[in-house]
Amino acid sequence: MPTLALAPADIARLESMSVRARVIVEGAFAGLHQNPRAGASIEFAEHKEYAPGDDIRRIDWKAVGRIDRYYLKRFEDETEMRTFLVLDASASMGYGRRGPSKLTYASYLAAALGYLLAQQGDPAGLLVFDDRTRQYLPPRTRGGHVRDLLVALEAVTPAGRTEPGRALAHVGELADRRSLIVLFTDLLDAPADLADRLRQLRSRGNDVVVFHLLDPDEVELPYDDVTFFEAMEPDDARRLLVDPRDLAASFRRESAALRERWRQICVESRVEYRFATTDAPPAEVLRAFLFARQRNRR
Amino acid sequence: MHFVAPSLLLGLLAAAAPWILHRIGRRRARPIRFAAMELLLRAEREVSARRRLRDVLLLIVRTGLAMALPLAFARPFVEVRSDLPAVTGRSQSAVIVLDDSASMRRRTSDGTPFAQARARARAVIEHLSPDSDVALVLASEGSSAPVAELSSDRARVLSALDAVACSARRADFAAALRRAAQILTGSPHGDRLIYAVTDLQASGWQDVAPEPAGGPELVILDVGGAWENRAITALSAEPAPEEGAQGIAVTVEIANFAAQPARGLGVTLALDGVEVARGFIDVPAHGRARKRFVHTVAGGGAHEAEAVIDHDSFPLDDRRACLVEASRGLRVLIVDGDPRTVRTEDEVFFLEAALRAGGSGFSVTTTLADDVDLRDLPSYGTIFLANLNRPSPAFAAALIHYVESGGGLFISVGDRIDADAWNQELRPILPQPLGLKRTASALPGTHAEGETVDLRPAERLAPIDRRHPLLSAFPAQGDGLSSARFFQFMLLTPLPDAPGRREVLRYESGAPALVEAQVGRGRVLLLTTTIDREWTDLPIRPGFLPLVQEAARYLAGVPSGEATSAIAVGQMREIGLDADDRRIEVIRPNGESRWLSPASHAGELRARRLVVFTETDEPGFYRVRAARADGTLSERPDAAFVVNLDPRESDPALLPDDQRPDRAATPALAGPAPRRRLELWHALGAAAIGLVLIESLLTLRFRRGRVKA
Repeated sequence: MPTLALAPADIARLESMSVRARVIVEGAFAGLHQNPRAGASIEFAEHKEYAPGDDIRRIDWKAVGRIDRYYLKRFEDETEMRTFLVLDASASMGYGRRGPSKLTYASYLAAALGYLLAQQGDPAGLLVFDDRTRQYLPPRTRGGHVRDLLVALEAVTPAGRTEPGRALAHVGELADRRSLIVLFTDLLDAPADLADRLRQLRSRGNDVVVFHLLDPDEVELPYDDVTFFEAMEPDDARRLLVDPRDLAASFRRESAALRERWRQICVESRVEYRFATTDAPPAEVLRAFLFARQRNRR
Repeated sequence: MHFVAPSLLLGLLAAAAPWILHRIGRRRARPIRFAAMELLLRAEREVSARRRLRDVLLLIVRTGLAMALPLAFARPFVEVRSDLPAVTGRSQSAVIVLDDSASMRRRTSDGTPFAQARARARAVIEHLSPDSDVALVLASEGSSAPVAELSSDRARVLSALDAVACSARRADFAAALRRAAQILTGSPHGDRLIYAVTDLQASGWQDVAPEPAGGPELVILDVGGAWENRAITALSAEPAPEEGAQGIAVTVEIANFAAQPARGLGVTLALDGVEVARGFIDVPAHGRARKRFVHTVAGGGAHEAEAVIDHDSFPLDDRRACLVEASRGLRVLIVDGDPRTVRTEDEVFFLEAALRAGGSGFSVTTTLADDVDLRDLPSYGTIFLANLNRPSPAFAAALIHYVESGGGLFISVGDRIDADAWNQELRPILPQPLGLKRTASALPGTHAEGETVDLRPAERLAPIDRRHPLLSAFPAQGDGLSSARFFQFMLLTPLPDAPGRREVLRYESGAPALVEAQVGRGRVLLLTTTIDREWTDLPIRPGFLPLVQEAARYLAGVPSGEATSAIAVGQMREIGLDADDRRIEVIRPNGESRWLSPASHAGELRARRLVVFTETDEPGFYRVRAARADGTLSERPDAAFVVNLDPRESDPALLPDDQRPDRAATPALAGPAPRRRLELWHALGAAAIGLVLIESLLTLRFRRGRVKA
């Protein structure tokens, strides 16, 4: 099968986000993704006990009367899969020394996924956040929606502090049906409640995927000279003057420990964890993601 | 602390260089906005302790290095109290008298007194004020002065001081101080000082008188201290007839200069380098004891004997050597030319008695001229011809052959001598032709009928010359010969000076009394008077017996013991050349040899065919060889000698305080102790090198640690 796995730097030279999305998708086994939930009916699937933050409109009042417990009615989408592309646009995502920033890289992946979903007629929404929801495009299938989504991705800029937990809580409110929630973030400075949010989303039947994106510098720390490091996010005054060669080995261990910790959290929460560095061809990352999902469906 | 070049201390500003470079490095650090600050800070926390330790260590080492270099270049020094006398700091002319005598070679806990003395002398020289001048004199007897004139060139004096080796000679401070005072005579400075660096051994300070007023001041720097010693002070060898013809007896005298008696002290005797006997002896405190070894040697001739006692801190005097002549030539033949029936009137009565005196070791045979077995002559070491009328031609020829082959012949004259026959038959071996008989005075109680009566008193001998080996054993005063009266004697026909002929004794009138001639390999002594009391009363004088015995040994080529074959360290040795010797080689105990030729001497020595060897600096055996006219090289055992330590150097007695010539020093010698400069830059230089190594090791170690981490 022919592949077109361009490097991120090559993709950045392409004309527009739509072109970039199409190139990435074409390079990543386009058409392999099959919607397992083909159909148009909405079918009651199961009950789920109410948890704070759940939509009270979905409470099954009959069940409340029978068993004196609050249950939510849940339905299985048999015709389309609603996908929320959740993009971390905090300042830290703007780091990229020798290639595209993590935010740009995440935009490439989100655009490719949105484009792919649109091709298949699946509705895809976009939520851009930092310490709050900065922009939201609800999942739709109408014509021109994907263009709006790609334009929004192209225009996103890094700023502010990151609060992924709050963003996921917002997504939980928005996803009134079982949805595919794809989170693009660097998980740096992620608060402890993020794991709880992920478990909540998963417990509601959502399919949750976390794309953990890091710059190669955040894996290897390949600096040679004495460097004055400064934090990127607002109100973060942390600074460090150091010879990075003294820290490189220890930094590599810390970085690996971070990835391993989040991988373990995701496994325990039944959340799919995908790690990528921004020097990897986005098509390769997308293809690996799609292959894995196809394998799991079987 | 003081500095020779304080301006170089500005270089200490470089000590701030590591810190400044560190600060510059911080300022020039590239700022980078980095997302993974949390990871970075965690990593930094993990390595910060080690990194800070490294940074602090490196900063300390580099700062220390930057400080050490300018400090070292500034030549820092401190002044410390000196153990030198106060006077050393004055402007002066000084003579260092360094004690290099044998006792300075003993071992102490700090090395040797000589090493300490040299260090003290160096300290004095270095501490003298810059405008002072200094000379260097050695205290050992007969030594030369390394720097014999006042010099302001310290480097030269110090170099000469370093080149001085401790001798084995005795100390003679009387001569050394005279030499020092003489050097200071032309001093340009008002202050003239003599620094004697010594162990203050009393024997070296004999005859030292305090300097007169106005003379140089004497400062004694004592590097010695009390010590105890055991020594061999005498070693003698003699024939031991009770052990047979080859028997010898060696007597060792041991002195114990200690407050405790020496019990069971081991004494070893070696002959020709082979240990032949060992014994033990008790020596009382501050006393002496003798050990006698009797041994039978294999073969006649000269043997090297050496006695050794158990070593103490001064091993140089724990051994002593002598040459032993195994009796080859102690057979003596006396040819009686005027035998009498009354024994006391016999011509050779006194001669026989002297040669047979107890302990002499001579085997004496007396015969008449007609009874001499001519074939047996070579078996005798010495032949005495006493008032022999005229030798037969055969006897004369045998005698000539005997002497030329190395035999010794002693001729005494008398009334029976036929001078013409003698001059004719024995001319080749007579030292001088016989002349007329001369009567000095009448014999007491006799009438000189028919002769010219001389009313002058009897002839006596002129003062003897003890340099002759035959007379060297005679004391300077009371030699036992000067009292002898000579009433008649025979004049000798004058001859031009000839090599090998010398007058051993002469009368006060100048006429020869005893004349020696070297003939071939043998010797002849001619006594111009009788050997009995007919013409002289010499036979009843105390000197007769030693004269006869020494003459018998001398003619036979037998050294009589230590007195003739052994000399003290530093003494010169005269060596006579045989008729066909051209040059003499003296081989020292360490194997080095020195060639001597009479041509290199002048005057009397050259005329007498003598060479003088002066390099007797080390104790031991000195062999002698002669280069003959025919080009061959042969041993001269008769000229071999041994050099022993002067026993006075063995006595550790110190010069009492009340006899120290420096106790009458002027008050100017007192004063606060001077201060001496202690250089520190050597230590700083070493520290800088050490810091460079430490910095390199630390950097290497931390780089390796960075890779491993």
